[in-house]
Amino acid sequence: MDKPLLELSNVSFTYPGAEQPVLQEVSFTLQQGDFVAVIGSNGSGKSTLCKCFNGLIPHYYTGDFEGELKLLGESAEGKRVSELSRHIGYVYQDFENQLVRPTVLDDVCFTPLNYGLADYRERGQRALELTGLSGLSREFIWQLSGGQKHLLALAGALAMDPDILVIDEPVAQLDPQHARQIYEILRRLNEHHGKTIVVIEHHAEFIAEYCRSVVLMDGGRLRWQKPVREALTSVEELLALGIYPPDVTRAAWLLQPDRQAAGNYPLSCEEGRAWFGRRTAAVNAADPANAWSFAAASSDGAPAVPTGAAARAATEAAVNLSAAEPIVRMEQIRLSYRTIHKTLQPVLSGVNLELYAGERVALIGNNGAGKSSLMKLIAGITVPTGGTVQVKDITVNGLPPERLSDIVSYVFQNPEDMFIDDSVRGEIAYYLKARKLADMDARVEEMLQAFRLQELAERDARLLSGGQQRRVSLAIGAAVRPAVMLLDEPTANLDISTKQEMTRVLEALRGHVETVVIATHDMALVAEWASRIIVMSEGRIIADGDKEAIFSDGQLLRRAGLAETQLMEMSRLLNLPQICSSLKEFTAAAGGRKGELVHGGSR
Amino acid sequence: MSTLKTRYTLTQSQKMMIFVLSMSLYGLSNMFTELIPSVQLGPIELSVEYFAFIPLTLCMLFHPLYAAVGAAVGEVIFGELMLGQFGGLGELEKFITFSLAMYIAGRMVSDPKNRRQVGIAAISGVAIHQFCSSVIDIAKVWVGVEELEAVQGLAESIVIIEGVGFLNDVLFSGILFALLPTMYLVPRLYGKIEPLLGMKPRERNMQYASGSKSWLSPKLLGGAVLLALIAMGAELLSESGWSIGEFELPGAESHEGLLIWISMLAAAVVAAAVIAVVLRKASRRRQEAGQLDG
Amino acid sequence: MVEAVKRALGKISVEHIKLELLGTAYNSSSTFLGRLDPRMLLIWYLFFAITPWFVYNRTILLGMFIFMVVTTVLSKVSPYIVFILCLGLVSQIGWMFLLSLFFGGGAESLLPMLTLTLKLSVISLASITVFSSLDPERLSDGLSALGVPDAFAFSLSYGYRILPTLLEEFHQILLSFRLRGQRPAKHGFLYLRTAAYYLRILVLVFYPLMLNTAKRSRTTVEALETRGYTYAVNNPKVKKLRLSYLAMQRRDWLFVAFSAVYISLLFPLGASFPNLLY
Repeated sequence: MDKPLLELSNVSFTYPGAEQPVLQEVSFTLQQGDFVAVIGSNGSGKSTLCKCFNGLIPHYYTGDFEGELKLLGESAEGKRVSELSRHIGYVYQDFENQLVRPTVLDDVCFTPLNYGLADYRERGQRALELTGLSGLSREFIWQLSGGQKHLLALAGALAMDPDILVIDEPVAQLDPQHARQIYEILRRLNEHHGKTIVVIEHHAEFIAEYCRSVVLMDGGRLRWQKPVREALTSVEELLALGIYPPDVTRAAWLLQPDRQAAGNYPLSCEEGRAWFGRRTAAVNAADPANAWSFAAASSDGAPAVPTGAAARAATEAAVNLSAAEPIVRMEQIRLSYRTIHKTLQPVLSGVNLELYAGERVALIGNNGAGKSSLMKLIAGITVPTGGTVQVKDITVNGLPPERLSDIVSYVFQNPEDMFIDDSVRGEIAYYLKARKLADMDARVEEMLQAFRLQELAERDARLLSGGQQRRVSLAIGAAVRPAVMLLDEPTANLDISTKQEMTRVLEALRGHVETVVIATHDMALVAEWASRIIVMSEGRIIADGDKEAIFSDGQLLRRAGLAETQLMEMSRLLNLPQICSSLKEFTAAAGGRKGELVHGGSR
Repeated sequence: MSTLKTRYTLTQSQKMMIFVLSMSLYGLSNMFTELIPSVQLGPIELSVEYFAFIPLTLCMLFHPLYAAVGAAVGEVIFGELMLGQFGGLGELEKFITFSLAMYIAGRMVSDPKNRRQVGIAAISGVAIHQFCSSVIDIAKVWVGVEELEAVQGLAESIVIIEGVGFLNDVLFSGILFALLPTMYLVPRLYGKIEPLLGMKPRERNMQYASGSKSWLSPKLLGGAVLLALIAMGAELLSESGWSIGEFELPGAESHEGLLIWISMLAAAVVAAAVIAVVLRKASRRRQEAGQLDG
Repeated sequence: MVEAVKRALGKISVEHIKLELLGTAYNSSSTFLGRLDPRMLLIWYLFFAITPWFVYNRTILLGMFIFMVVTTVLSKVSPYIVFILCLGLVSQIGWMFLLSLFFGGGAESLLPMLTLTLKLSVISLASITVFSSLDPERLSDGLSALGVPDAFAFSLSYGYRILPTLLEEFHQILLSFRLRGQRPAKHGFLYLRTAAYYLRILVLVFYPLMLNTAKRSRTTVEALETRGYTYAVNNPKVKKLRLSYLAMQRRDWLFVAFSAVYISLLFPLGASFPNLLY
């Protein structure tokens, strides 16, 4: 951490035709060996900043550029993107589009070959080893999973043996296990191979665990660059910008919001355990009468928490209804597809499932567990290899999708795949128009209102932000007024604040839809929203129950390749009587008498 | 950093983007049209010849040269090579005539918002392409069959088949899969798709960077004729003297070769003339339209 | 015919095309021809694509045809492709024949056309043999070694890379149209309504697809820039390095020698027995 590897001084940049500059007088120094996270709300200039590093700005994106870039102590002026890129590897957020060759080995060798390096094959092999893809070198790109593709994009950048690696949102599209895997690789590259790493990241938990320093961008300006602890404990400042520090840190802040304490806030579960342990000791010492506070507080506190109550009510509703006819019934479902080697690859094997009205079902499991396939079977999009699927007493197997679309609506993982018209209003109305429904206009208005899309009604949905696109896709699905609505990863690719908003948006579905099924690996969403959780692994249902039952079994989640949220893990570590899913619950349970602590409780 | 002025300038990478876009989209569509079976009503084949609207739309919205060549490459790669139907050299003529026709259609449009102009350009694009390929097809049989004249009715039937094919392709495929979709898509995409590629939309009467003063430049016309000739030449090299004459039938008349050459030349002249007339007409209409607007 | 449409639409499934097209494309290096030097194969092809046009001797053509059949068998071309080829040839010639009868021709007009068919078959089989034997990488390297612009060579393999993604996206959007659309209640005269419904969707799908692909191309081209593509294009040394693995080997020479001997024997044979066939 001595010499500056890269220096930006007073850089400003305006896209052609734009009024506002995206970067304003940004000065930034990247030290050798650093592991930097760039944070900031949407549109704060994070990606733009990183695109200055390898000269994409201003050489590729033409516009008004001022300031200077120095790479390895030399001015970058007059150097082309391809020259600068020798030292900087860039992995895009939509990394799939940066893979341009059909097979893995070809793609990883592409960059060194382009630079005419005679040892391009060795370089490619080495990069594959570093990312753990050696075994796949002869595979086609389209055979890889999302996580593997991301690793390949990373390997492609590594093959040039660059000094700096820039990775835009490394884990946005990955399930928790694969996300961790990526970061472990990045850490190894940073610590053992001396790479300087810059990530654009929303997930504070990963920043806390892996990064060394943090750059905060705000409205095109670089607000500060701080060591990670100092950065993430500025809870108030970050929250004001819509950036969420780790849950443990926020919990500690909620309990002890004074500035002196900030430096001690825990950033990880390990630290949290110590911090909350110390707190409890301190509280108990101050007021021995409350020594039993955990148990008491939680049993008093839990019913007061709204989500807990709602979940309970829903479970009761489900119990009442289970005597009634199920809306979806799947019997002995098998599904397999043909692989390139002409063998059959089973996706689902012997699934039996019944879903009832009023249920909010979360299908969880890691990538490839069969969640999407299961939902596609219900929607009639895929035909099972064996068994029957019935929705509302209609046998689905092999019906054309048009027939079933009145009963089941399926919301794709990628909202853009659902956009077929040129305005939000058009998207929502498309289904209704095709059926010439009389109350079309009223229904469209209703949907626009329910999903807060009135102002966006005439805009093209493709040009909206990620969160807005999700809302549109949900509105499209809900406009059908289906009995069953199936959502595939509704929170994928969203930043944390938008994710939190999703929970509220999902509430808007109520009243339009009888049963909602969500396939996800976002455990925070599951914890806050679901009334019934179905855990899938390798094409089978391995558990089915309510939140308490599923979350209290730590083994189960691990077996399904899922990670607990920080709050869940903390609840377990602190031996709380109940696994908490929201900050409110957690602070209530872990903080004991919350009100008292906040006001009076400091050591 | 130069800012964009009235001239329609593109960076190298923007050209590449247009090329990639056109190639992948048209290539994909070509794969489908190859798979869609055709309806045979006697000798008339009702087939979805191609989704010409894709390259037409892109040629009208972006720089036509890169969009046109991209589409032609896409067809070769997706529609031919991938499906294992690559005809080798025979595709060369298709490649050249197709990109030429699409390019001309793109250049005919100066204002993508003018539906009439778009429509005329779309149908002319298809007509130019189909005409060229009909002429070439006729020429192929001419070359391939010895003593064509000797076989009664063969020449007529070829001309009829090709003529009907031409009309069918222009009237059926041309209207359904070029004219209508293009008229629907161009105004809708105009101003919307360009920012996605980081470019400014083509503006009315915007000039191309090629430096031509008017869209119907002598350069373009000359190029068109030249390309047409090359296209024919690729197909017709056969009749030239470097054929393996020694092994030909002893009775092969030298007259025949001469005759065929003359007819080929005539065909080339006709093709060039038709292209020129079509272009002039469109240009006049464009000027009229411009005057009306002005 | 309607069934055919249905089947064709059914075939436009992602998995099917992925498996059939991409799988076979890259499996071809296992055949004898697939292991030959691509430059040599391409030149070999050029010979058989051009020569037949100038040869009117049926015996020679027949000899070439037999040779092509053998190489086609060697290259393990899928029977489906051969079938399509035959169908195309037969129908084209068939119509021509029928029409020429109408214009007063007779059975004698069949013979010259048979010659034409023979020529076309030789040319088509040659192209099938070569282009289905070469996997895309070897093909693009071979072309680029013979001086075809690099942009084409790159596009070729990029096409294979992007096709599954495009198909996936196409499929999803098509599904969106179908899930939210309404199929005509009746098929209509000659299934015209249903056909029109599908064709209309097929066209409409390209509107969203164009916009989405535009977004994608932008990142791709940007990534190409960071991955040194422009550097490579402007640097002839890179091309040399890329193609350095191409080398004529013993089997290549053997193949060339055999072809040359076969053809040079064929011509005198044809000259002596011009009417061996008919």
